[in-house]
Amino acid sequence: MTSTKLYQLIADVFNINISDVNDQSSPQSIENWDSFSGYVLLDELESKFNVKFSLEEVTDVKNVADIKQHLRNHGVNLDG
Amino acid sequence: MNKEIYSLFKLFENMNKEMKLSEYLNKSKKIQVDKFTKKIRIAVLSSFTVNGLAETLRVKCAENKINGSTYTAEYNQYNQEIINTDSGLYKFSPDVTFLIIDSRSILGTYFYSPYSLSLSERKKFIKTKTSEIINLIMKFVKNSKSKLIISNFVIPNYSPYGIYETKTEYGLQEMISDLNTQLANYIKKESSVFLYDFNGFVSNFGENNIFNFKQFHFGDIKISLDFIPYFSHELMSYIKPILGINRKCIVLDLDNTLWGGIVGEEGFNGIKLDSTPPGNAFLEFQQNLLALNKRGIILAVNSKNNHDDGFQVIRDHPNMILREENFACFKINWEDKVSNMIEIANELNIGLDSMIFFDDDPVNREYMKKSLPEVLTIDIPNDPSEYSRILHSINDLNVLKITGEDESRGKMYAQERKRIDLQKISVDIDEFLNQLNIKIQIKKADDFTIPRISQLTLKTNQFNLTTKRYQEEDIRDFTKSKDMIVECVHVEDKFGDSGITGVYIVKKSSKEEWYLDTFLLSCRIMGREIEKGILGHMIERAKLEGIKKIKAQYIPTKKNKPCENFLLDCGFKMQDGCYVYDIENDVIKTPIHLTIKTQ
Repeated sequence: MTSTKLYQLIADVFNINISDVNDQSSPQSIENWDSFSGYVLLDELESKFNVKFSLEEVTDVKNVADIKQHLRNHGVNLDG
Repeated sequence: MNKEIYSLFKLFENMNKEMKLSEYLNKSKKIQVDKFTKKIRIAVLSSFTVNGLAETLRVKCAENKINGSTYTAEYNQYNQEIINTDSGLYKFSPDVTFLIIDSRSILGTYFYSPYSLSLSERKKFIKTKTSEIINLIMKFVKNSKSKLIISNFVIPNYSPYGIYETKTEYGLQEMISDLNTQLANYIKKESSVFLYDFNGFVSNFGENNIFNFKQFHFGDIKISLDFIPYFSHELMSYIKPILGINRKCIVLDLDNTLWGGIVGEEGFNGIKLDSTPPGNAFLEFQQNLLALNKRGIILAVNSKNNHDDGFQVIRDHPNMILREENFACFKINWEDKVSNMIEIANELNIGLDSMIFFDDDPVNREYMKKSLPEVLTIDIPNDPSEYSRILHSINDLNVLKITGEDESRGKMYAQERKRIDLQKISVDIDEFLNQLNIKIQIKKADDFTIPRISQLTLKTNQFNLTTKRYQEEDIRDFTKSKDMIVECVHVEDKFGDSGITGVYIVKKSSKEEWYLDTFLLSCRIMGREIEKGILGHMIERAKLEGIKKIKAQYIPTKKNKPCENFLLDCGFKMQDGCYVYDIENDVIKTPIHLTIKTQ
């Protein structure tokens, strides 16, 4: 899975263009990113990457870069 | 694919897989509802976060050509919304309201430590909680015309008492179960309130799947996101019949659908239909179909076979569960399955959109889907042991009330086959009608007939002049008014009893004029001039009451063409966009082959 695919997944969940997603994207910059769509994103990430995030990891996420970091911590290769 | 994902994948595949919630959320933004004529207003009240439920319901409504609008109350505000008559709930004026409360919310800390209460305190506690909920229901019924669907309470698998839980008198599980029973008993008496078996939903899919601790801690989500679509599927089981959408007939293939193997090749003794696998899977499927037939679902056969080969099994095979009398129509031939399907619809006088097609052959299914998209063609795997489960998951067969007419419908259609046979040997239509010996009884709307009257207004499409849909409460209100006449028609003939199959509703506009608000006839008794008899009877009565004119309307729909010319045929004349019958001058001929009595 590459970063592009991750961006696409995020864009799909928030119903926005992939060009509007980057590592700095956050609930502040993406209007549709509220607490509920956040859970939906979490659910999508867990099922697509077959990982389980802890509560702490989830509450720690402030932007897309944090999501990438946590995915890498779970052994997901985003550079392939 | 690793093994774990594979098994998860298999699990979903075996559950009539739903789309992910995120897909529903995206779809909900693209719904175009302008072209839908059916509308429903849905309110959701809940004790926990059900985000995404409203969106999913709207998408599912659109898939059924329903314009669904939704109102989701603020989380855990259900008490206030119901008590306060100015609340957003009542302003929204819903047609249907779902009230979903979970066991944690209702029991509070006693959900965790029920045994901090003594036995008598536990009993008292549940009694209090039951009356709290019943009071809430009573308030709602008083303040709103909406149907109310309240979920029952989920009985948790875990108990702090462990294995001793089931030995404990009035333990946690028994407490919740008692609450559910008391609630169910109360709701049985309230015609506009229904109890949704939420506990059954959770046990069907598993508490560990439905309840996800992380989502619970995160956002007080008590139905995990992946299961919101499955939950919505269940709630649609109420929405469809409220709008009169339901399927009446299951059309079945024979070979490898009702029995294993091909009778034309393997022969009468070669087909698989006994207590060993795979024969037992077919027996199980037939048992399920028989139970549906007994509650009013029509069965028919559409099979490519030699007529006699297929029929011999149905008549003579010792293990067949379904027999000739369970089927309303047989098409066992080498004709094309689509033309057979159309013929079945015509012979049974029901719409293609009332039919479900069950066939093991994917080619037949694709052909049916492409040619007749109105028919619900069920996708089934190449494995008969899955048939029964798939049959159970169909949510298009629901009715809000099962009446006596429903229970005897299967028998009635078998009688209808005999009528068709008589018609075939009769010289002309008059001879046929005379031989039927039709007796009509006009009955008043009362507690016994109101459910059926409402059901007929909701379900009748073809012979229905105005297609006005009325819930039981509406009919009950009409009967209280001095200016309305609500009556129904019971029909029987020499082949059997067709039950209550006609309704008319008259509004007394003035001392000299009546308006025919509703006039309908079940498709089951069409083509026997019964409608003329009923209308003639009504006109006679109007005459006795000194009425001069009867006004009526024909409101065209896609389906009610069969009654387009009915009013003109009966002597009504078109005046200013309305059909008018002048009692002094116009004449209606009551058919002589009918005997009409009033209650």
